[in-house]
Amino acid sequence: MATTTAAITISSADLLTDPLSLSTTSTLYKAGTSTGLEQVKMGKQKLATGTNFKLLLATTAGANSASKAYIINKSTDATYYITVSVSTQVIGKLYAGDWMFIPWEQAATSQDLYARAYVGENTVEWASFHEGETLTS
Amino acid sequence: MATTTASINITSGDIMDNNVSISSTATLTTARTTTGLTETTGLARRKFAAASLVDLITAVNTEVTQDKAAKVYIRNTNSYNAEQYVTVGIGNSSGTPLYMGRLYGGDWMFFPWDAVLTDAGGRAESLTDGGGDHASNEDITVTPSHADPVVLEYMVFFE
Repeated sequence: MATTTAAITISSADLLTDPLSLSTTSTLYKAGTSTGLEQVKMGKQKLATGTNFKLLLATTAGANSASKAYIINKSTDATYYITVSVSTQVIGKLYAGDWMFIPWEQAATSQDLYARAYVGENTVEWASFHEGETLTS
Repeated sequence: MATTTASINITSGDIMDNNVSISSTATLTTARTTTGLTETTGLARRKFAAASLVDLITAVNTEVTQDKAAKVYIRNTNSYNAEQYVTVGIGNSSGTPLYMGRLYGGDWMFFPWDAVLTDAGGRAESLTDGGGDHASNEDITVTPSHADPVVLEYMVFFE
């Protein structure tokens, strides 16, 4: 079994009157087990404006799983951004340099993760940590 | 302006032959600028003890401006239990939210939130009346898998 961990730290010295520092780490397990996720996909793409691209495809094996998805907008122009959607539901906007990390249940195979670029060509990197996928054809 | 950063570090020494190490730091800014976000809900903590769909964060109550920059952090503070999780969705607890995924004990998530208000009068009307009945607002919902208590911590950064 593999051991994969994901850690987040959120900090600010001036958002609140007192400093903010929040950190936590989780271990990525398969759904309903204490066995680590064993599969990963990673990629980097340039997204032209005008199309809602399928970034990560939901699979039957991913249904009701404990998969995790990471997406970062690598654009450096602050005016550039992408929207990220699950199926037709927009989750939110990743501006230049923003990243997201979410559990991705893929309850239906229509629950692909989409990304759409705005203002100009955006570059995104992504990773999916998942389970149970076997390529058969 | 405030400077707030969110860093992620994903590591594995054995999921592939070579180590996987993903690290990134984002500075949380207002939409399409380099100006830092200055508002937050603060860190909140709630216990759920029923296996039913409920709103965790309502777009109206957080005063998040829709279609702007907002980031949401949610953590399941329970110890890991393979049989217990919460399913996090976007939508409204009186409707059918779009389910993003499951947070098991110890899991966390961090994501941008559009927080679009669309009440019974439609999106345009909800812009002026505040989306008060939030019939189809893009709230953040959770559905615990069990009635056994689960405690979530969450925080929203917004403009």
